[in-house]
Amino acid sequence: MTAKRSITLAATLSSITLFAQTAREPDWKALEDETMRHYQAVLRLDTRNPPGNEHVVVDYVKGVLEKEGIPVQVFASDANRSNLVARLKGNGRKRPILVMGHSDTVTTDEKKWTYPPLSATRNGGWVYGRGTIDDKDNLTGGLMTMILLKRLNVPLDRDVIFVSEAGEEGSTGVGIGYLVRDHFADIDAEYCLAEGGGVTRIGGETKYATVQTLEKIPRGIEIVAHGISGHGSIPLKSNAIVHLAGAVAKIGDWRPDVRFNETTGTYFRKLAAISPPDVAKYYRDVLSPDPKVQRAADDWLFENEPRHSSMLRTSVSPNIFQGGYRSNVIPSEARATLDVRALPDEDPAKFLGQVRRVINDPAVDVHFTNESIRPAGPDAKLDSEAFKALEAAGTRIYNAPTLPMMGTGATDMAQLRARGMQCFGIGPATDFEDAPKGFGAHSDQERLLESELHRFVRFNWDVIYELARAK
Amino acid sequence: MKVLGAGVRGAWCGAAVLGAVLGAGVLGAEVLSAVQGAPAQPDWKALEPEIMRHFQAIMRIDTRNPPGNEHLAVDYMKKVFDDAGIAGQVFALDPNRSNIVARIKGSGRKRPVLIMGHTDVVTVDESKWKFPPFSATRDGGWVYGRGAVDDKDNLTAAFETMLLLKRFNVPLDRDVIFLSESGEEGASNFGMQFMVNQHYPEIDAEYCLAEGGGAIRIGGQVKYTTVETLEKIPRGIELVAHGISGHGSIPLKSNAVVHLASAVAKVGEWRPEIRFNETTGSYFRGLASIASPEAAKYYRDVLSSDAKVRATADDWLFEHEPVHSSMLRTSVSPNIFQGGYRSNVIPSEAKATLDVRALPDEDPAKFLAQVKAVVDDPAVDVHFTGQNVRPASAFDARLDSEPYKVLEAAAKRIYNTVTLPKMETGATDMSPLRARGVQCFGIGVAIDMEDGPKGYGMHSDQERVLESELYRFVRYTYESVVDLARAR
Repeated sequence: MTAKRSITLAATLSSITLFAQTAREPDWKALEDETMRHYQAVLRLDTRNPPGNEHVVVDYVKGVLEKEGIPVQVFASDANRSNLVARLKGNGRKRPILVMGHSDTVTTDEKKWTYPPLSATRNGGWVYGRGTIDDKDNLTGGLMTMILLKRLNVPLDRDVIFVSEAGEEGSTGVGIGYLVRDHFADIDAEYCLAEGGGVTRIGGETKYATVQTLEKIPRGIEIVAHGISGHGSIPLKSNAIVHLAGAVAKIGDWRPDVRFNETTGTYFRKLAAISPPDVAKYYRDVLSPDPKVQRAADDWLFENEPRHSSMLRTSVSPNIFQGGYRSNVIPSEARATLDVRALPDEDPAKFLGQVRRVINDPAVDVHFTNESIRPAGPDAKLDSEAFKALEAAGTRIYNAPTLPMMGTGATDMAQLRARGMQCFGIGPATDFEDAPKGFGAHSDQERLLESELHRFVRFNWDVIYELARAK
Repeated sequence: MKVLGAGVRGAWCGAAVLGAVLGAGVLGAEVLSAVQGAPAQPDWKALEPEIMRHFQAIMRIDTRNPPGNEHLAVDYMKKVFDDAGIAGQVFALDPNRSNIVARIKGSGRKRPVLIMGHTDVVTVDESKWKFPPFSATRDGGWVYGRGAVDDKDNLTAAFETMLLLKRFNVPLDRDVIFLSESGEEGASNFGMQFMVNQHYPEIDAEYCLAEGGGAIRIGGQVKYTTVETLEKIPRGIELVAHGISGHGSIPLKSNAVVHLASAVAKVGEWRPEIRFNETTGSYFRGLASIASPEAAKYYRDVLSSDAKVRATADDWLFEHEPVHSSMLRTSVSPNIFQGGYRSNVIPSEAKATLDVRALPDEDPAKFLAQVKAVVDDPAVDVHFTGQNVRPASAFDARLDSEPYKVLEAAAKRIYNTVTLPKMETGATDMSPLRARGVQCFGIGVAIDMEDGPKGYGMHSDQERVLESELYRFVRYTYESVVDLARAR
């Protein structure tokens, strides 16, 4: 803490310093059991969406907060899919800060999990379970911060609002959409912290922190092949499955144009500056005006660091393919769903045209699904108080530089940015190697290091304390 | 003996000379029988309402398989048989999936002939049908419904044949055995396998007639008939791609859906090598001699020893006459593809099913290796499904046999056309009978060659049969059975 400007503070400086020391360093070790207890409790509550049933998490968290004397409001358009809002009031000198963690998770394919997906099994220093890094980690970070602020009775310049919303994974209509539409006054803030960023560990060491200040926009596309039905013993040239397979194979091969924006340009340049030479080369080369050089770097990224490859472009992932119902019957139709994440400046109609040209088959129809569209909004500012606090905490807690980042995935921040809130996506440290190994978010073995859970709670505390406390 | 009212006319042309010599007139049919000439000729026009009645009744019974429920059709047939004084016996492994056998005894001087038609039909995607699939709607001269050309047409023809044999009390040298079996469409363990394994003496015969052949009309005219003497063997293959699961916003190189799509696209492009056998060689040579010059060229060219000439002809056949393209080779049709369950989740697995129909001389292991080589992707596993594999036949039905000659003569008489031996691209219940030494011949109704590509063929969403051809086929079946089985 820097010694400050105002003489009016000097009178109470000593007591503030003493108080700040206590608040600055809660007993983290003692808090770990409590943190783990809440983390595992919410992980074990089945909020797979669909159907969601997020009220079970809301009930639990409500109980915890009220025990601490923190007032809680519950808002719901569907009683089973409630949203929790809790607020610690400040003196009003600055506008509020909002911290969020959504209560729902994606679904699971249970037979593929080594540890049952709702078990929150602790093994080898990890906690395994659906939601461990999306988004019950952020939920726990926000929850513990609220508890600590209250217990330590920290005087605040800003209200601190904690929201655990439902339906982030594909049904924002009952969650953030509903809250923004019907209860915006209860969550309105200057800044918001939510999922979307993180700290990257490589070879077990934290290398850099990322804060998401911008995100790609989901624009799902469905492709449908039409053919003639018939008997499987007489192969037909018009076979819808063969046509659709051809289309999906071409899409899978296609690499949409690379295009940078201010955030991603900054990101890759900074990344190049802090990375070891053999990797930095790729981060620099991908910015090259020479298409061959860029392509070679892109190939390497796609194979080795697919998240980075996704940041360069509007990305396309064929995730569902369904055709046929009987082994000896040629079906007359087959369908596939492409998960498209558009660069914020992408023209949807033009992109759809490109997809059609890549497929180049009149038997295949191409159209947007118009499913769960997120609105576009302005980036969060890198010269804001919030970003600076995040950078400082990144140095202090992770000993790592902070890079602004464009999120490849969509978050509930989109709806808030569209209402003018400056939102920053944060997250715990995860191993870079985990996603390709199949341990990432939405995977069949989602997991988080226990030590990083606890470190992330400290990070949440550090940032929010710094931004909200009375100065 | 006065002949009954339900349709008797004068002797048919084949016996006209004999009739004239014996002084038989228009009503002299029974006299002809007494001197062992041609038996009574039914009044086919007058029989049409009865044929349509039985056909529609059987078509309207929902025997889609699964679940089958073929007992409903068996109940209908048993009742009609009972009323006609024919003893129908019901055999069942599962009472809902019963089989019916009926026998009209002959003198025993020759071994029996077995005539068959299976009761079950493939399933439907109801939303795609214009007329409800079990309505047997008559429209524009066609009857629409699941089973119209597979296999309730053959079933009706065989059924009606039994009724007529009994009604006209035709003296026989051979027993004529009727079998309507369940589960032909993928559950033959309830039907043919069960009958062959548990009740073979009830159906043992020298010859059998079942589905698999047919007459082909082009531009509304019958051009040739076919008799199936050989069939391809189903050997389903499954492809499974394995990848890493992940978030849809981060495309992965290992995406199982993409890998499987590439595999299926390659398999779809691939044309397995062409290979002829005695039946298919005769067939294409026969076709070349009777077809129009433009088409005949292709039928000849596909037999060429020049690979390029062959490939060009094959391309044309694949586009315009896919059934012929299928006869040239072990064929592969990707019919099921499933991967993924959520739009923003990359699934870790995707599966596809290939319907493979092997040439009888194909080496399964070698073929599987070829598929693997075409797929050429270590992330995609390739293996046989092992599902409902029919046995290879002991030997083809012979082209110089009595039934083949009888069928050829019937085709000349009734369709005024030649008969070609054919290798069936699909599998039939004749396979286990052939394995036991029965000489089986696949016959069928006349269909328009244009119907398949238009989506009106068997297993399609608008399966249909021409009424006029249904009646003609009943006559062809009846006369052939009589010719084969009657006392001489």
